[in-house]
Amino acid sequence: MTQDFAVRIQNMDKYYGTFHALKGINLDVAAGEKVVICGPSGSGKSTLIRCMNKLEDYQAGSINVLGTELDDNLDNIDEIRRETGMVFQHFNLFPHMTILENCTLAPMLVRKQSLAEAEAVAMEYLTKVRIPEQADKYPGQLSGGQQQRVAIARALCMKPKIMLFDEPTSALDPEMISEVLDVMVSLADEGMTMICVTHEMGFARQVADRVIFMADGEVVEEAAPEAFFNAPQADRTKTFLSQILGH
Amino acid sequence: MTKTYRAPTLWDRIRADYFSSRLNTALTLTFGAFVIWVLWNLANWGLIHAVWSAENRDLCGHGGEGACWAVIDARWRLIMFGLYPFEEQWRSAIACCALVLVGILSCVPWFWNARRISILWVAGFATFYVLMRGGVFGLTPVFEQNWGGLSLTLFIFAAVSLLGMPLAIVFALLRRSELPWIARTMGVIIDTIRSLPLLSIMFTFAIVLPFVLPGWMIGDKLYRVIVGYALFFACYQAEIIRGGMQALPAGQEEAAKALGMSYVHRIAYIVLPQAFRNALPPTINQFVITFKETSLVVIIGFFEILASGHAAFGTSEWNFAHVEVYAFVALIYFVFVFALSRYGAYLERRTAIAAR
Repeated sequence: MTQDFAVRIQNMDKYYGTFHALKGINLDVAAGEKVVICGPSGSGKSTLIRCMNKLEDYQAGSINVLGTELDDNLDNIDEIRRETGMVFQHFNLFPHMTILENCTLAPMLVRKQSLAEAEAVAMEYLTKVRIPEQADKYPGQLSGGQQQRVAIARALCMKPKIMLFDEPTSALDPEMISEVLDVMVSLADEGMTMICVTHEMGFARQVADRVIFMADGEVVEEAAPEAFFNAPQADRTKTFLSQILGH
Repeated sequence: MTKTYRAPTLWDRIRADYFSSRLNTALTLTFGAFVIWVLWNLANWGLIHAVWSAENRDLCGHGGEGACWAVIDARWRLIMFGLYPFEEQWRSAIACCALVLVGILSCVPWFWNARRISILWVAGFATFYVLMRGGVFGLTPVFEQNWGGLSLTLFIFAAVSLLGMPLAIVFALLRRSELPWIARTMGVIIDTIRSLPLLSIMFTFAIVLPFVLPGWMIGDKLYRVIVGYALFFACYQAEIIRGGMQALPAGQEEAAKALGMSYVHRIAYIVLPQAFRNALPPTINQFVITFKETSLVVIIGFFEILASGHAAFGTSEWNFAHVEVYAFVALIYFVFVFALSRYGAYLERRTAIAAR
């Protein structure tokens, strides 16, 4: 399988009933690339990232992830979901399982790992997100920042080739944002392919190879962070940046 | 006046809870007096002036002075075992104990996996059936028509729950299927069965079904009634489970999907455990109702414990003592239902730690 892209989206359209949510999206993400998607709320950025592992369906165009066509074939969908990790705004940890069980469940069921193997991998990643001492607690006993770091570790336990982040810091108290961003930065430094929907512009400047600005279901502008922040082209980008960076 | 802190004594707390104003003091005294009056009369009737032994039967029945527990002493075997042959009633007693034991064991978390729990219940039902039905190991055959009393009540309850629960899970999953035709058809089936009275369902399965089913499918009336009852149970329980599923945030299933988990794994590990947790109080409620409504099988001629009790005072010798017999049967129901609800409360405490 030779390809120079991790994700290739071509002329993709998404409708909610008659509402045209995503309009003719074209996007290539190279292996190892870090892409930040931003834009005002309702612009379709979360919908776009959720289409990449088929949590949302799309109606026209094509999406190819890691050489597998993301169509209606359930085998292809399973294949893609196994290779992509996702982190959600509201963490979505399984509240009835301990932290360790959250991390070992999918590797054991999907990757057929043994309990010992899965636990060793889980502890490795929990150590990486600096939270190994919480392994036997339940999600409800952890702070928001800790839960989100567990969610990242849980996704990493599946050894994904791409990580999708859907506003990972938007539901966090301000003092907990940096502990999650630190983990994401170190993940980026290790060469993970990352697609992040986020409003953290500091993170975008530091980590992104490319920033994509969306509005009204379209990609309005895409550029390297330097160009994006210092010399935005479109008016809507300028307005958005002035609103978000103005304070 | 400023308050200074001191640890509240028992008297402080009683005063704060029950005598905090003139109105509350009056209410406390009124209801306190009423409760004492009721308890005093009950004790007078049920304990102090009661007749306990069947030998003293002649002392009861003259009205007013006390309970005639002699009827229980004389007729308890009929109440507990119904029409089961007198010499064989030890079999019914052991079979009863076997079901209770299996019921208690399946409340122990160690048994909570598919293999252990199914082995346990297959063994439990096999023991029950061999003992009750006989015909093997030199046991005299006793046909289902003659089963009765507590063991019949427990058997119907256990069989309905064990058939009905998996069926309820399947119904609930079909009901929320993404394929509209399957979901709607299941919805119509559930609504139809729920709109029928349990009595008419039992009657249909017992009396009407033999005319339409092929011979090999008919089986004994008792098992047909159990299947009909299980279907009824499953429709109610399916809606309870569906309610528990709807309380789950969409993110739970999305997270499981994003991890690559299959439909069966998502349902078994993420959706159902949390749905049952959310639906625990109404589920216990459903079990309690199911236990008590087993008494309806009397309409198709089975003498479960309530009907057996009815038979126990149905002679001219004892027919004045119906209150005592009903009180005794009520006590038996209470023991089982109370145990069920205490177990439900234990489960709620146990799962509270993992709740958000």
